[in-house]
Amino acid sequence: MISSDVIRGYNDTLILYMLLERDSYGYEISKNIRTLSEEKYIMKETTLYSAFTRLEKNGYIHSFFKEEESFGKRRTYYRITPEGLMYYREKCAEWQVTQEVVNKFIKEL
Amino acid sequence: METIIGYLNNMFAALPRTSQMLKLKQDLLASMEEKYYELKNDGKTENEAVGIVISEFGNIDELISELGIGQNYGEELLPFLSEDEAEGFVAAKKRTGLLIGFGVALCLIGTALLILFTTLAEEGSLGVSEDFGSMLGIISLTVLIVPAIGMFIYSGMKMEPYKHLQDGFQLTYQLKSYLQQKQKAFAPTYTLSLIMGVGLCVLSPIGMFVGSAFDGNVSTYGAAIMLLVVALAVFLLVYYGQIRESYTILLTTKEVTKAKKEEDRVIGAVAAIVWPLATCIFLISGLMFQQWQINWIVFPITGILFGMFSAVYNILKVKNNS
Repeated sequence: MISSDVIRGYNDTLILYMLLERDSYGYEISKNIRTLSEEKYIMKETTLYSAFTRLEKNGYIHSFFKEEESFGKRRTYYRITPEGLMYYREKCAEWQVTQEVVNKFIKEL
Repeated sequence: METIIGYLNNMFAALPRTSQMLKLKQDLLASMEEKYYELKNDGKTENEAVGIVISEFGNIDELISELGIGQNYGEELLPFLSEDEAEGFVAAKKRTGLLIGFGVALCLIGTALLILFTTLAEEGSLGVSEDFGSMLGIISLTVLIVPAIGMFIYSGMKMEPYKHLQDGFQLTYQLKSYLQQKQKAFAPTYTLSLIMGVGLCVLSPIGMFVGSAFDGNVSTYGAAIMLLVVALAVFLLVYYGQIRESYTILLTTKEVTKAKKEEDRVIGAVAAIVWPLATCIFLISGLMFQQWQINWIVFPITGILFGMFSAVYNILKVKNNS
């Protein structure tokens, strides 16, 4: 399990990644993050929704209601915007550098 | 599922009810609900499912800081009040309320006894001289006032550890919503005590009205009865008033408390002069000039004038602030 402190700067990136392929909603995103991380990272509910709030405020995602055919209930879906995509690329580049730098200080003992 | 809804309601209880907040709460609930049913489908028990959902909820403060409603966090770092301190303060207020209420009631009962003994001696019903009757009255007054003063001092000392609350503090959202619930639960009790207290005050001069229809000293006994009824009323008002105040102090923000404190200080100072003065006039005109049938009027008059003063002062103060 990764501590939430370590990954803090990349929660937004994780969420944006989940929206690259298709629109999604809160629970699906959190479930996919869990599966993709092989249960090593579970994003807390409040982390997820404060990230949604922040991303939407910055114009990186936008939310809309969608009726679910099978359930007949309304869900809040999120879609990545062109600005969000740009931000995602920036974060990916940033991670490459971060990884390179930190790796220089990592050694097997 | 009830537990989860209750948990979420609790978390949001102290937050402003904006449409953004309501939507957020609904989204969170939908998410938690889905997680819950999926866990149940996977064969988890009710308790396990609820436990997992709640443990993965996170920290509400994270959302609050993102929504920018926790600004007072950054501006002024006031100390957080612990649950024990808050509970202790409410309990201490309740206890001092009991003591102060009882003390004030004792003073009033003492005054009633003073009137009673003096009049009884005057009428000769006690079989003692008038001077002895007055002395008996004064002794009983003193005997009751001394413990009352002790109670006042003791209550002041009891509240001493909570002095620092005046310098400001902040509450966690959990504690705040807990206190709000307790305050809400107490409201009907307070209203009832207020109605009873004020009702008793209004009814208290009846004895004198009736007494004044008869001859001589009957209205004097009415005055004594009035004071006893008022003593009961004051006890109710002070005791329940103190409990209410404990919640008000804990739940109002610092700026409000400051302005209010200044206002309370001025009104309190005026009250400390006006009411004893009214009591002096009442006692002197009664004991020396035997005007019991009419002199009680000083209390309603003082009450009305004092109420007018408080209201006008309030209005002027609000005007100045805005």
